[in-house]
Amino acid sequence: MSEQQHTSSPSGRHRLEGPKNHYITYIASILLTMLAFAAVMYLGLDKMFLVIFLVGMAIVQAVLQLAVWMHMKERDHVYPIIGIAFGAFVAIGGFMAAIFWMWW
Amino acid sequence: MANVHDMGTLPAEPEKATLEGKNKILGFWLFLGGEMVLFGTLFASFIALRNSVPEGPTGDQIFKLGMVAVATFILLTSSLTSVMAMMAMHRQQVKKMLTWLWVTVVLGLAFLGLEIYEFVEYVHEGHTFTSSAFGTSFYTLVGFHGAHVAFGVCWIALLCIQGMKKGLTVVTAPKFYVASLYWHFIDVVWVFIFSVVYLLGKAG
Repeated sequence: MSEQQHTSSPSGRHRLEGPKNHYITYIASILLTMLAFAAVMYLGLDKMFLVIFLVGMAIVQAVLQLAVWMHMKERDHVYPIIGIAFGAFVAIGGFMAAIFWMWW
Repeated sequence: MANVHDMGTLPAEPEKATLEGKNKILGFWLFLGGEMVLFGTLFASFIALRNSVPEGPTGDQIFKLGMVAVATFILLTSSLTSVMAMMAMHRQQVKKMLTWLWVTVVLGLAFLGLEIYEFVEYVHEGHTFTSSAFGTSFYTLVGFHGAHVAFGVCWIALLCIQGMKKGLTVVTAPKFYVASLYWHFIDVVWVFIFSVVYLLGKAG
């Protein structure tokens, strides 16, 4: 990666992004995944806690990948964020409705 | 031939250099929002039906977490390789970009192979599309994701062949970028599948 030296020059108008954040996201995703698997396979945790823990881990990992790998954290991503937020709104709404039907 | 464009003649972000490219990416984000709705409803029906097993095996009995962990690792790695491809694209290294994309395709095929093997195994154990409501919602949700992976593999492979012929231009760059967005999205959906379907299924 000899071209990496270009990435750290803040003066350039078009700064090339380095691989660092992507590696960090990859390692963080693997750690979050391992944590989720370990919680189910090795720790006899309470089921309600597991539900919240697993969904929480998944949301953290999804947001991380959306922000870094799909570049949503960068500027000029207002419309993508609105689009995904609407999608998430309907998806979470359906999710909630299904759980509501199940429990009441 | 592919090296014609290696000289830095393209703009810094070739995928956003034209209005058409910008619109393509914006339209694709809106499509991904719609995809989210699709998978959200499939997840919702799976959650509502996952314990409806009058006969046939339950998730707890058939899921093998070791295989799921391997599949997760493969798909996660393929998401990283497609990001490496986009970094190579921004440096106008066409060969490097195509190599990373081919690696992504191979990893996608490996994931598909594992999933097909897994489904065949389940069917042999009596867990089929019609065995229970759990079976129907399981195969619809996970199968839809698998179909997305299969489509992505074909799409990226075709783009790579086109890239070998046409190289990197302001016309081809948005296609690569959009395909990589799609691939990341497939990985994000899988994160929820392994958490909600497999891990919660194993937890009971």
